[in-house]
Amino acid sequence: KRSSAKTRPLSGAARVVKPIFSRDLDEAKRRVRELYRAWYREVPNTVALFQLDITSRQGRDKVREMFDKNKHVTDPRVIDMLVIKGKLELQETIHVWKQKTHVMRYFHETEEARPADFLSKFYRGHDP
Amino acid sequence: MASRVLLQCVRSLGRPSLRLSAANLAVRATAAPAAARRPLSFAADSRRPRWLGQSSIPSVGVLCRQYGDLPPLTLETIKDRVMYVLKLYDKINPEKLQTSSHFMKDLGLDSLDQVEIIMAMEDEFGFEIPDAEAEKLMSPGEIVQYIADKKDVYE
Repeated sequence: KRSSAKTRPLSGAARVVKPIFSRDLDEAKRRVRELYRAWYREVPNTVALFQLDITSRQGRDKVREMFDKNKHVTDPRVIDMLVIKGKLELQETIHVWKQKTHVMRYFHETEEARPADFLSKFYRGHDP
Repeated sequence: MASRVLLQCVRSLGRPSLRLSAANLAVRATAAPAAARRPLSFAADSRRPRWLGQSSIPSVGVLCRQYGDLPPLTLETIKDRVMYVLKLYDKINPEKLQTSSHFMKDLGLDSLDQVEIIMAMEDEFGFEIPDAEAEKLMSPGEIVQYIADKKDVYE
């Protein structure tokens, strides 16, 4: 009980921590926008270079989908970490260190969606 | 002074082009048998209307110097181009689009959509817009103002 009383005000108040790159949310959002620009400009070159069977529009929609997946994040350090990972992916795509299969993995074509409700899980067999 | 030079240019190439043009050669070929009788007047008559006809622009412009540059920007043309590009964007309803409509509040767009719009403007006008200034441009009117500031267009 004493430990929970100590941690309660700490978890409520904003903690001052060492930043990764950006000091506040605005700077982090600016980095996100720069990354989005770089990806947006890179998609047609990627489609041509890897000879993918998708259109540029589908590629750009997929980029937007990946960015929207993390739209809810508010912590600047988490955003910075995600931006760093996005930059890694971008570098690997630009320099053709990836291959066609790695780029197409974003599209989850042959994957089946995992069952969400109880009955589908039951029919498939419970897999915790 | 430039107009005087241009007129001289026009007149000087009016004459040699007559000799070179095929139509004139055909006329000369037909006029050759009759040339003995009335050479000068026939040639003079045929020359004058043809020169007047050729004083129109297409043959004249061939030998004049032309510099490669875009036509100068005006606020009207910038606004037309910006609205044209925005109407082509599929997430915007063209009927609801006005010069003062806010992207996020009126048209319901995302911040990433606004980034895409600014990139389309960069492609249209051919110069880079840095992100620090791009994030403040939230309506077509502001975009027009920004481009006019950058390109020194004023009225």
